[in-house]
Amino acid sequence: MLVSWDWLKQYVQLDITPAELAERLMMAGLNHEGTHPVGSDLAINLEVTSNRPDCLGHIGVAREAAVLTETALQIPPAEPKGTGNAVTKLTSVKVENPDQCWRYTARVVSGVKIGPSPAWLVGRLATVGIGSINNVVDITNYVLMECGQPLHAFDLAKLDGRQIVVRQARKGEPFLAINHKSYTLDETVCVIADAKRAIGLGGVMGGADTEINEQTTELLIESAQFDPVSIRGTARQLNLHSDSSYRFERGIDPEGVDWASRRCCELILELAGGDLAEGVIDIGRQPEPREAVSLRFAQLPRVLGIDVDAAEARRILTALGCREVKHDQQRVEVIPPSWRRDVTREIDLVEEVARIHGYDKIPEDVSVPMAPSHRTRGDRVLARVRQALCAAGFDEAMTLSAVEQEWSDAFSPWTDAAPLRASTPVLRRADRLRRSIVPSLLGARHTNESLANPRIELFEVAHVYLPRGANELPREEMMIAITSGGDYAAVKGALEGLLSALNEKAALLVKPAKLPLLHAQRAAELHVRTGDGAAVLLGYLGEVSQDGLEQFDLRFPATVAELKLAPLIDLANLIPQYHQPPVFPAVSRDLNLVVDESVVWGELSATAREAAGPVAESLTFQDVYRDPKRLGAGKKSLLFSLVLRSDSGTLTSDEADTVHQRVVEACQKAHGAELRT
Amino acid sequence: MSLEQFQSELEALRTEAADAFSAAADAAALETARVEFLGAKSGRLKAVQKQLGKVPKEDKPAAGKSFNEAKGQIEAAFAAAEERLSSSGTDQDDAAPFDLTLPGPRLPLGHVHPLTQTIEELKDLMGRLGFTVATGPEIEDEWHNFEALNIPASHPARDPLENFYLSTAGVVAGKEGAPLLLRSQTSTVQIRVMESMPPPVRIISLGRVYRPDTADATHYPMFQQIEGLLVDRHATMADLKSVLRLFASSFLGGDVHIRFRPSFFPFTEPSVEVDMSWHDDQGNLRWIEMGGAGMVDPNVLGAVGYDPEEVTGFAFGLGVERVCARRHNVTDIREFYRNDVRFLHQF
Repeated sequence: MLVSWDWLKQYVQLDITPAELAERLMMAGLNHEGTHPVGSDLAINLEVTSNRPDCLGHIGVAREAAVLTETALQIPPAEPKGTGNAVTKLTSVKVENPDQCWRYTARVVSGVKIGPSPAWLVGRLATVGIGSINNVVDITNYVLMECGQPLHAFDLAKLDGRQIVVRQARKGEPFLAINHKSYTLDETVCVIADAKRAIGLGGVMGGADTEINEQTTELLIESAQFDPVSIRGTARQLNLHSDSSYRFERGIDPEGVDWASRRCCELILELAGGDLAEGVIDIGRQPEPREAVSLRFAQLPRVLGIDVDAAEARRILTALGCREVKHDQQRVEVIPPSWRRDVTREIDLVEEVARIHGYDKIPEDVSVPMAPSHRTRGDRVLARVRQALCAAGFDEAMTLSAVEQEWSDAFSPWTDAAPLRASTPVLRRADRLRRSIVPSLLGARHTNESLANPRIELFEVAHVYLPRGANELPREEMMIAITSGGDYAAVKGALEGLLSALNEKAALLVKPAKLPLLHAQRAAELHVRTGDGAAVLLGYLGEVSQDGLEQFDLRFPATVAELKLAPLIDLANLIPQYHQPPVFPAVSRDLNLVVDESVVWGELSATAREAAGPVAESLTFQDVYRDPKRLGAGKKSLLFSLVLRSDSGTLTSDEADTVHQRVVEACQKAHGAELRT
Repeated sequence: MSLEQFQSELEALRTEAADAFSAAADAAALETARVEFLGAKSGRLKAVQKQLGKVPKEDKPAAGKSFNEAKGQIEAAFAAAEERLSSSGTDQDDAAPFDLTLPGPRLPLGHVHPLTQTIEELKDLMGRLGFTVATGPEIEDEWHNFEALNIPASHPARDPLENFYLSTAGVVAGKEGAPLLLRSQTSTVQIRVMESMPPPVRIISLGRVYRPDTADATHYPMFQQIEGLLVDRHATMADLKSVLRLFASSFLGGDVHIRFRPSFFPFTEPSVEVDMSWHDDQGNLRWIEMGGAGMVDPNVLGAVGYDPEEVTGFAFGLGVERVCARRHNVTDIREFYRNDVRFLHQF
């Protein structure tokens, strides 16, 4: 809202500088966005919050200034004399849609002379950024900027049937606005019409057909009140926002409707001459008396934390336009002013007193009682996850929660249910709430590849959105997703490291998985054992297939993984308990077993571990070796080492050999393994 | 003396001697160490050897064997140290010069996202002030995102074009007449927490929120918010100001002051914009915007079943991107979501 410094001073005597005023207003709720000179005047740019439409006019701002400087506010009485015919003989008004048009008033001025505006009026409007058109149009704009009530002047002679009909637009009804753009309307739009056609978009913009021009001599002055929701809908639908719609959307002062009409006519008589028809046509809701609101003075310290003198509180409320009904030691009861629809409750009065009294009076050094707070288990686990992944060389990424259809369809291991869709894309084409983070990370890989970044190791921690029934909130599951330029084994190693950072005993259980996007052999379903020993699904890991790489326009190999956070929170051992390190020396034995290709390490090692029994401290894979000539076709040799240690004494060589033998025999029996020597 | 004691003494001596020999920086120091451990008359090895006699007879062979092994190892350690000292500082013509400036194999450490770093720091600071972290769903119903927050159906904030309403397979998601949407603020979490527990409440809620803004240097349709909430019997605006001052002072360091400017939010009354003081390069006092705050609106307290006559509360909110961008001088917040590793590596 642009405010003219000279204009403000018409209503309030200001003994402070414009800068001081701007500062005071800012500290009372009108944010100062800047001041710039226009001619000899100053335009002060104030930000008006949506609850304060009363400050969308100079009188409203002047009222704030008067309250803050404790000076009187002067408002013109606006009492033009009706001298002509009765207005009802000159025109008629009908409102067919009182839901949209709450009130419509009309006055008629005849015999006006349209011409240029005087310099003072042109200057006022120039300061607030409005160009001069002619004296009558300028006056309607002036009164709008004076009190915030939008007005419209019709050329009465151009109204078919010399009448106003306020109604819903007809479907497909054409309309040419004064901005000389054509619009096609529908039934949701409230129009001002004459006997035949729409001549104005109610509360938004007038029509070109009934515009005032030099030939105009007879005026119908509209001052009305429209439903804010309906105005907002029309302005948005037609993408047509005006000073009028802006004010009607926020709500105008119902008591100001008639004042604005009188003020407008008064200025017209003064600057354009003519005769004002006797009376006014006033149809629709009359302003209802407002209910009284009580302020218990004890609420001021209860909410604000400071005492405010009861007399000061009463002064502020009265100066703001509240009418005191009664008061005693404990409370004051007031009727809030008609222009303050936001003030309806005691807490609203508390705020009014506080903002005028000054928030600077509230101390910033009171002692607030201490309270314990704790980091959640989830937060602790996540901190370790980030630490472990960063140590493994992964950078944390953050990507948009919504993805385009192709990405959404590319990978969804957690659900087959269709993704939730946003009514409008969140960004560009991204309108699907993602069911996996993996496609987003592959997108980030692509970005980095196109920037020629050589090393792209990323992880992200975020929700995925798994739809349930149509009536339910979806399941939002926290996931940790990874993408790497390394192969399956490299990422598996990183995940094993991550797991051991949370619980040294935790182990990954792996099953083959068939998933779109991933390599047919090098993709796995990952499981872990949680606190109660049950194996649960942790997530997926795999190298991206050639097709997958092409789909995401990637030139270099990539591996991805996605893990649920919940099982990790469950298995994390955040407060490990001490156990004594072993006191007796360890003995190690290397094994080299030849097996069929179909035998996998996971199974063979499980057999070996079980056979070795409790003395097996560790069993470490060393290598796999293939040589059809020496081992035979379809055979491989698995090399691993076994570290044995007893907690009751030093193992002898014989004891170690016995264990070794047991392992070899068990592997032979279970997997047909042959010891290679 | 038992065999175990004897062996453990031997082992201790062996370790100590090996350390002393390898630590010797020159011939003189090595000689001193030699006399201490291997001295023929009063060397410590000699002293241990004398203990051999006290070991029970049946263990003597084993003890003797251990002694000889240890002696051999200590002598070998001495010889190695002698070798080391004699080779250094002597003629090295045949060895290539050692380039000290060659890089070591650098650990490829990853970086935590700058927004996460900011969030963690803010959480940490608020934790010290007694605020516990609370989270809630990003997909919400209108009750939690609007109604309970005192945003009635006619409020412009509820316009479908101002929000991301959701559908599933072409059908509006949510119960009939109660559509689902991406939350537009984390205050939804405050409602859920208050609905689930009686006062007092002292939490911070945080997470991703969504508004249909066109992406530019200062806007992104998804961003991260942190909001604090305190509800108790005697919570006042003075408490709010004091908590924010402690918070800002901890975050920026030094003595920071707080300024309130009246503002408007549906869920608080009174509502304020919060500024914090800051001294610029010239030492002038400047105020920078920190976020929005206010006293929890009685309608909100009522909506969650609290009695506004019994308790009061305050709330405040910050945009994480803005705090983080200002802190690290990031001029375009879209960088946070582009994930160029050259950007991520800077933090």
